[in-house]
Amino acid sequence: MYRKQVRRRRAVLALLVVSGFVLLTITYGRGSNGLQSGVSAVFSPVESVSDRALKPARDLVNWFDKTFDARGENSKLHTELEAARELGVGAQAAIAENRELRKLLKLDEGGAIPSGYTPVTGQVIARSSTEWTSDVMIDAGSGDGVKVGDPVVNGDGLVGSVTAATGSSAKVTLIADHSSGVSAKVVPGGNQGVIKPSLGDPGDLILDFIDSTKRVGVGQAVVTAGWSSRGIASGYPPNLPIGEVTDAPLIEQEAEQQVHVRPYADLRNLDLVQVLTGGWRG
Amino acid sequence: MILTPKILARLVALVVIGVLLQVTFFSRVALFHVSPDVLPALIVSLGLLGGSMTGAVSGFSAGLLLNCLLIAPLGGGSLVLMGTGYLAGLFRERFEITSRLLPPILIALFTLFAELGFGAVELALGVDSSISALVVRDMLVKSVFAFFLGWPIYLGVKRLLRPAIVEDPERRRGRRPTVVGA
Repeated sequence: MYRKQVRRRRAVLALLVVSGFVLLTITYGRGSNGLQSGVSAVFSPVESVSDRALKPARDLVNWFDKTFDARGENSKLHTELEAARELGVGAQAAIAENRELRKLLKLDEGGAIPSGYTPVTGQVIARSSTEWTSDVMIDAGSGDGVKVGDPVVNGDGLVGSVTAATGSSAKVTLIADHSSGVSAKVVPGGNQGVIKPSLGDPGDLILDFIDSTKRVGVGQAVVTAGWSSRGIASGYPPNLPIGEVTDAPLIEQEAEQQVHVRPYADLRNLDLVQVLTGGWRG
Repeated sequence: MILTPKILARLVALVVIGVLLQVTFFSRVALFHVSPDVLPALIVSLGLLGGSMTGAVSGFSAGLLLNCLLIAPLGGGSLVLMGTGYLAGLFRERFEITSRLLPPILIALFTLFAELGFGAVELALGVDSSISALVVRDMLVKSVFAFFLGWPIYLGVKRLLRPAIVEDPERRRGRRPTVVGA
């Protein structure tokens, strides 16, 4: 009797392990499948309700997190204030530069929507649970015109792109996810490279493969490059704000330089986003 | 664990509510820049109370639902949470839980194991970017969160599944007998 029970348990365990590997093999690298679409259709309304109901509690916990942060930053800000006073004159120039950049980026008053794209607003309803992936689910899907590959922004700048869509929801892979890569340029100057994340630290992106002969300075803005060539094009339209350069170490004898970029968008705390549907893709 | 239809319904409800709470609440709040992960804590609690099969099947189901809701490749989360639940259940079958501190400690350790598992799956599937040392810090902080959150989760699950839990006969024998008419 006991042996039979042990054999049955082993069989169940083996079945689960094999099923896990088979599912992984079948579904890896593909978008949504029938099972996911079905589950998503059933649970999307529940997630939306749960998201709204839990918002006050979420805000309370996040308020504690921001308060801890603010206390730590207080002394740092005092030091920075002294330095900022000395740089007052420089700041005036920076304001002028900022106006110029705004013109360059064609930012409209409400956000950063390039012409030819139709924004679809979506609310973040779920988020991946591990540090190893940076995905969010939004409550707008293919039924709203959202397609795989559409860029996603919020009021601060580029957030990511749609990597899977069901009728009522879509998966947005953030620019902090290890699978993300965005062709970007530094403005002013136009030095181009690829924005890659530093896995586990969504507040620090790395702009890689940029020409080290062109100097990049701390505080310069980084925007999407939005290139197109012979019928193929970047998935992102040009001049979407991504972030600002926080560290630009110049390593001698290296043809290519890496600079650190802090994203404008708070990728840990997203609520409302806009999917840029339509537009030219080459 | 004695599985009756009522207990099965409670198990399903626990897994569904656990996954929904994780993706809509716990993943979206942060303390010290780290979001708690309560799914390993829930699965470990089920394993510690229900045994290896309950832990393995619950873990597999929770992982599958999680991957479905996040439109992620199916199977990765299931394998990790199934392994976590199975090992927690195996612990329960091999050793006796004598201290009240043991469940939260085990939940913290198994959460670390699960986070390493999630990382191993991602690395096996291919990671195209550099990995920040902060990942290690985040995993450790998640384990600390799991210690504190694991306690109420374990007690809640125990209370909900009490009629189905098979208690250790030795512990039952050690109880004070009920005196009729006292």
